[in-house]
Formats: sequence, C-alpha cells, structure tokens
Amino acid sequence: MAKIDQAHIRNFSIIAHIDHGKSTLADRLLEATKTVTTREMEEQLLDNMDLERERGITIKARAVRLSYTAKNGEVYDLNLIDTPGHVDFNYEVSRSLNACEGAILVVDATQGIEAQTLANAYLAVDADLEILPVINKIDLPSADIDGARREIEDVIGIPAMDCPAVSAKMGINIPDVLEHIVTDIPAPKGDENAPLKALIFDSYYDSYLGVVVYIRVVDGTLRSGDTIRMMSTGQTFQVVDVGVMDAFGLAKREELSAGEVGYLTASIKSVGDTRVGDTVTLAENPAAEALPGFKAVQPMVYAGIYPADGSRYGDLRDALEKLRLNDAALSFEPETSIALGFGYRCGFLGLLHMEIIEERLEREFNLDLITTAPSVIYEITKRDGEMLRIDNPTNYPDPAEIDKAFEPVVRASIITPTDYVGGLMDLCQDRRGEFVDMKYLDSTRVELHYKLPLNEIIYDFFDALKSRSRGYASLDYELEGYVESKLVKLDFLLNGDQVDALSFIVHEEKAYARARKIAEKLKDNIPRQLFEVPIQAAIGSKIIARETVKAMRKDVLAKCYGGDITRKKKLLEKQKEGKKKMRQLGSVQISPEAFMAVLKLDDDN
Amino acid sequence: MHIPFCLSKCRYCDFHSAAASPAVKEQYVAALVRDLAVSASRAKGMTVDTVYVGGGTPTVLPPDVLAAVLKTVRAHYAVSPDAEITVECNPGTYTEGMFEVLAAAGVNRLSIGGQSAVDCELCALGRPHTAAQLAATVAAARAAGIGNINVDLMLGIPHQNMDTLAYTLDAVLSLSPEHISAYGLRVEEGTPFWQERHTLPLADDDTVADMQLAVAARLTAAGYVHYEVSNYAKNQYRSRHNLRYWLGAPYLGFGPGAHSYFGGVRTAIPRDTGAYLDAVERGDFRSLVTERHVLTPHELREEYVMLRMRLFEGIEEADFTARFGVSFEEAYGDLSRLIAGGFVTRRDGRIAFTEKGMYVSNTILSEWLDFSL
Repeated sequence: MAKIDQAHIRNFSIIAHIDHGKSTLADRLLEATKTVTTREMEEQLLDNMDLERERGITIKARAVRLSYTAKNGEVYDLNLIDTPGHVDFNYEVSRSLNACEGAILVVDATQGIEAQTLANAYLAVDADLEILPVINKIDLPSADIDGARREIEDVIGIPAMDCPAVSAKMGINIPDVLEHIVTDIPAPKGDENAPLKALIFDSYYDSYLGVVVYIRVVDGTLRSGDTIRMMSTGQTFQVVDVGVMDAFGLAKREELSAGEVGYLTASIKSVGDTRVGDTVTLAENPAAEALPGFKAVQPMVYAGIYPADGSRYGDLRDALEKLRLNDAALSFEPETSIALGFGYRCGFLGLLHMEIIEERLEREFNLDLITTAPSVIYEITKRDGEMLRIDNPTNYPDPAEIDKAFEPVVRASIITPTDYVGGLMDLCQDRRGEFVDMKYLDSTRVELHYKLPLNEIIYDFFDALKSRSRGYASLDYELEGYVESKLVKLDFLLNGDQVDALSFIVHEEKAYARARKIAEKLKDNIPRQLFEVPIQAAIGSKIIARETVKAMRKDVLAKCYGGDITRKKKLLEKQKEGKKKMRQLGSVQISPEAFMAVLKLDDDN
Repeated sequence: MHIPFCLSKCRYCDFHSAAASPAVKEQYVAALVRDLAVSASRAKGMTVDTVYVGGGTPTVLPPDVLAAVLKTVRAHYAVSPDAEITVECNPGTYTEGMFEVLAAAGVNRLSIGGQSAVDCELCALGRPHTAAQLAATVAAARAAGIGNINVDLMLGIPHQNMDTLAYTLDAVLSLSPEHISAYGLRVEEGTPFWQERHTLPLADDDTVADMQLAVAARLTAAGYVHYEVSNYAKNQYRSRHNLRYWLGAPYLGFGPGAHSYFGGVRTAIPRDTGAYLDAVERGDFRSLVTERHVLTPHELREEYVMLRMRLFEGIEEADFTARFGVSFEEAYGDLSRLIAGGFVTRRDGRIAFTEKGMYVSNTILSEWLDFSL
C-alpha cells in the first residue's frame, strides 16, 4: 500500500454526553466510507464488549482507520479514536484526545449541552484540538437545531452556525461530517526524521499476540524489528509487528510514521507494562523527552470482593488475574475477613469501573460474589507522626492515635434544568457539599459547581441525583485533593460480636443516620433465628443505634402423615443445604443475598 | 385408602381430588376393591390394627358403597376386632342414615373437616358447608353410635383473627369431640390461593404462632392432651392410625397418591386417577408404584428422630441407643444450648421438644438431621 503523507491524514475523536449518539455516528462514518457495508454491520461496531453494548457506553477506547475520497478527489486516511464516555475514565479520554488533532463534539438537538459534553469539550480544548460540533438527532420532532447551535456558541464559545446537523440513526447528512473532517481538522505535523515519539492511548491483551498496543506516532518512524523503550519505566521490547486497525481487526504494515495511528505488538505479557499516556521511543535513538501528560492511574474506590462460595477463592483469583491482563487500572490484593473468609481488596477508578468488574466476574467467570461497601482512600496522620493511607475500614487506627484525618474531595459539575436546582442544591448540601458557583447556560438550564467529598459520591449520589431531577441532571467530577475531615469508623455488632465486613468510615455528622439505616436493613434481612439477635452500631465502644431480630416462633409443618414424610425429608434436606451457604457472622447465620441487600446503596437522603 | 373425589375443590387444597360423575366413582371403587383383594397377599400373617378412609371426601360416595369397600377389607385382611376404623367426612356431604350404615360396617371413628365455626371463613376457604352443618353432622354421628369423633380446624384462614378463633374453639368444644386437629393453612403451589397469595389477607407467621398457642392453651384447659404438633386428644383417644406414621409402624396405602411403608421400603402411587384405573384394569399392579425407596440404616435413624419428635412424648434415649448403637447426643451433638434456651427437655430418660421448641422444630431438626448421607 502506498505510503500516505501527513497532509492526507486526519486523526479525530468523537466526544459526547452519554446517549447523544456517539457510537451511532461512528457506525455511520464506517458505513459511509465503506469500511464496512451495512450488511456486515453489527449495531455499534466500535463498542465490542457485551457490557458496553448493553449499557450503551464505551468502556475502553477503540480506534479504526477509514479511507475517504473527498470532494477534491483526493484520498484521506481518517483515524477515528473512540473514547470512553464516563467520568471514571477521564484520564483515558484525555490521552485518546491527545492522540488527535481534532474532535467531533456530538450534541443532541433535543437535549443540548450536558455535563459530559462540557467536560469533554474542555478536555478537547486542553488538548489543543480543533472542535467540530455536530448536531445529532435532527430527525426527532423535539429537535431544536438552532437552539443547539446557539448553545454551543454561547456556552463553549466555538462557532457552530455552519456545523453539520445530522441524524446518525437515519443516516442523514453523514457525508457532510466527513467533508468537514477533511476541511476543518488540521493534518498532523510531526517530524518523520526526528527520534520516535509515539503516544500509547490504549492496549489490550491477546492470548496469541501478547499485548496489542494502540499508538499515535507523533514524530519519527516505527518498524517491525525495532527495539522500543517505554519512557516511563525504561523497559525495552522488540517489536514483532506494526500495523493499522480496520473495522475487523489488525492489518499489518511495514512501518508507521509520524502522524499515523496504529498498533504494535512486541510479545509483551501484561498491559501493566503499556501504560496509557506513556511514550514509546526507540532504544537506539531515544527521544530527549517524553510526551507531556503521563500519569500512572490510581484507583479511587476500593471494595472487598469475596466469593459467595468460599471454596471458589482460587477461581476468583484466576478471574481477577485474567481481567488485569486487560485492565491496568484494576488492582487487587488478598485480604481476609472473619465474616467473609478469603477474598480480595480491589481498587477501581470509580463506581462504574467497579460495577463493570463485578459484572464481568459474575458473567464471564460465573462467580457469585459478595462485595463490601465501597470505600475511598483516607489519609491519616497519627499522633506519632506516622502517615497512613487507609483503603480498608478494618485498618482504621484507634481514634486515640489519630491526630488528623483527611478525605478526598472532588470538584463536581452538575447541569440541570432550572426546575430541579432547589432539590439538587439540597442534595449537595446534605452530602456535605460546598457550593462554588452557579451559571445559567440559558434561560432553562443551570450549571452548578460544588466541592463534594468523594465518599458521598460513591454512596449512591448518582442515583439520588437522577431521581431528584427525573433523570435530567448530569454529573461530571474530577478529583481536587484532600481536606481535613471529622471521620469516624462505624462498626456493627450482631449478638455482641463485631462483624468486620460491615464496618465503614463515615463523616461524624452522617454516622447516626447511616448507622440507623444499616441497622434497620440488617433487621429486615437477617432471617429470624432460634434466639433473639441484638444488632448494634457502634463508634468505638459507644453504641449509637440498635435493633433486634426477634426470635423465630414458627417453622414447623402442621401436617406430617403417610404421604408427607418423603416431602418433609426433602424439605429438611433443602433447609440444611441452604444453611451450608450461609455465612456465619459471629453467632448469627446470614445468606450471601441478605448480606448484599444490607450493603446495597439505595437510599435517597 | 384414598377416595379422590370431592363435592368441589377447596381454594387451598392441593390433595389429589376432584368432583366426578357417578360412573367414574363406580369405576374407581371397582378398581380399589380389586386392588385391595390382590394386594392382600402382601399382608399375610399380619393383623390390621387401623383402617383409614381418606381423600378427597370419602362420604361423597354412597354409604353402602363405602360399607362394601370396608367389607372387602375385612374379607381379605385380618382386621383385629378392636381395630380403629376411621372415615373422613365433609359436613356438607352428610345425608340422613349415612352414619348408621357406616357404623354397621364397623366404622368407629369419624374425622370431620370442620375447619372453622365462622361461616365467612369457610366461605373464604371455598368450603362447601356451614358451621351449622358441622354441628348437625357431629350430632348425627353420635346418634348413630360413632363414639370417637375428630374435628379438623384451620389456623391462619384469610380474615381469621384471635377473636374469631376463640369463637370457633368455643363452638367446637361445645360439640365435645374426642379429638381435635388444628393445622396452620399452607398456601401450596397450583391452588387458587397460590395465585392470589399476594393479595390474600393472610396472617403472618407471628399471628399464626399466637393462634397455635391460643389453641393449645384453650384445649389443654378443656382437658385435651396436646400429643403431637397439631393434634389434641381426650383420654385414650389419640389417633391410633396417625400414631403409626410417627412411630414408624408399617402401613399399606391404596389409590392414586397413596403412600405405603412396608418392610423398610417407602413407595408411592402417582396422583393420577386415570392411570390408576388403567393399571388395575390391565392387572398390572407392578406399574402402580412409581416411587420406591429402600431406607438405609442411617435414614431409618433420621426418620425415627424426625417423626417421633413430632410427639410431645419425644424419644426414649435408651430405645434410641438400643436401635442405633449410639447415644442421641453422640449422633446429634450437645443439647445443653437447646435445653437452656427452653426448646428441648430431657427428663425421665426422654428427649422431647417443649411447646416453644416444637413450633420451630424444622430449624432444630435441620441442624440435627442429614438425609443427604
């Protein structure tokens, strides 16, 4: 294949708020450039994990090369880099954007700008990208194209009067988008002869090839056989193959040079060695400095994951190891709970990431799990000067030893119709939010800024936000830092025995309400036993809430005559079987389902 | 013996029974009689101590037909002279002269499905009779000389409360039955109640537990002995037939859905009247039994505990050890926690449930017993 000069390359991402039609537009671009034919298309081709398709979100970035013959008769290589559409993956989004010169900003003509539209637009501006707005869903009766154009100009401050207005779903005006990509988005301007600098924006593990690394070559040229160096770690690898991604997979090439997007394989065993944002250079003629912006991703949310069936601990370990091959952001280490036995303390980028991992463990590895309440990382300075980072309530030190405690706060942006502002401000206030400012985007919509403790956000904040705004409000946040806070560790006792798996760290003000709530849930979910079970919530030795599970009074079958004997035997056997699955929490037995029901974060207050 | 016919199907009932035409009933009785005759060889040399005709509603058959069935039993089996012969009866099926015919055929015990003395509760259950019919049935049976009468009562009926239960108990006690069975209603799959289970005004377990205690207190005060989970008897009137089930004595069952325990083997006949008729007609008595289970020595022990512990007299420790070669506590562990908790008593060489323990005995038994071994 003839080598293409940089003037005929366009690298772009598509960014959008969730459900604004990003994936559908990507599919149409593939179709319109005959990268795939309609018949071959599976709906939303780029999102190729089951979970992604079900949830309508992109979890990992994907890239594909389109070949487009423009109106000027020339052929262009358009590299589309898809980005994850969720706040948990903000860093990945920013790296994907850095691999591009431009971004298509999809705005739903019926919804206008939402929190993630703005957050993504700002990321694109930060990455110095040319933003090409595209107004989508113009086929819908409630579409307000001119309103959307005005909003883009007013709120984001980029011209939008001539931008394409399309219906990705109906395939209307798609060629217009392609033409704008060529005319509006700048060509890459790398130096082919400079030392190699290639940005890693994604990678995945393949059992035959090892890690497949997605790169954008910024400067220089990369060929198979080259020895490369990862600039963040200094590790070197010998390149096996380089190539590009077409809609159906990898297509080998002899080389990739400045401006191009493609992949490399180098018998790399773990995605942990190919960090998103890292710079690939050549070992023999290395670049003087790495591309800016690299950081190692840090988990923000931790939870204990245990197999419901204790004997499957080994299976859980194998499953987590397999998932980590493909997910450098997932961390885990063994932990033991008196109540739950052997399991893993897992670190996640956020709640969505955690849910995804849980679902994959359950679906792909057929595991039943018990997950403890998610926790953030707290920082503690002890009186003796020691600094601790606590990701597990069990390790929380004795309050007497604590000098100062710190918790992470995020800067949250909420975009909502004005009708719900009152309710959402109450919510933020209730979640210990600190009001920053409020901006009217137009006469009907407002952008609220709050500083919020992260541990309040992971406690069902998103659900509460949605329910108080009838689903209209949108949320985006980024970590701002740590602030000093009055934290306490809340413990629960059943029959006088502390149950380690139920402990969590909470702000002093919230402790009483949370304690009462969980105690009530325990009461509702612990099956009645032969003996009465007292439930207590405690901070240290101080009991702050109590409930009682009354003793069981009746479970006998009234009738047991000739025909009932076999049936009764089966019933007792089944009851015994059920007991084997029960977890012994102190002297109390509770089923894994009941345990999960207690930990489920489903309240709105 | 199972008579799989009823006037109508009650709304909670999952027994094998249905309304049927006279022709079907006739055909069924012929098959049952043939089955009884052919199976008699199995019981050769054994004495029959109790006969129980249940259902369904046996009294939907004409009394002379029932008498003929009992005659067949006497003709082919060694029925002891003082045998307990029980017939189940629905108060709605009573016809004049019925009990005289049955008494003449040897029936000396009547078990009447009274359920409640409150008509709106009977109606909620779909019972085809009234409280007044219960009283009339009892009076007629006594007049015919049947001196041992059981009345079934039900607890946890939709709309029932402690007051209406007290009313029912008073009404039933005024009839002075020798035996009373009080069962908690169970909503079984496949019944109309099951379909309506989310909207039915059913009492919760705590209320039914309160009802059980109220029944026990009232009947004990009236001179009845609470001898089994749901059964109360005056003097010597414990149900000899039902005791056989709980003491592990052998019995033969006839008719669709009937179970037998004979020679250490439990068998069952499918709940399918048509299949039963076909098999008997073909003379293929082997195909009648589809479930057949030979008890292992371990199962014998577990059943012994499961069934005998339904009786308030419980288990004689020496008998247990003699039968199974281990002591009760060696087999099932230390009892002190259950004794201290007031669930189990251990005195005079016997282990038994207390009233409180009896009502939660499934949980305790499932800790002790293991039928999977």
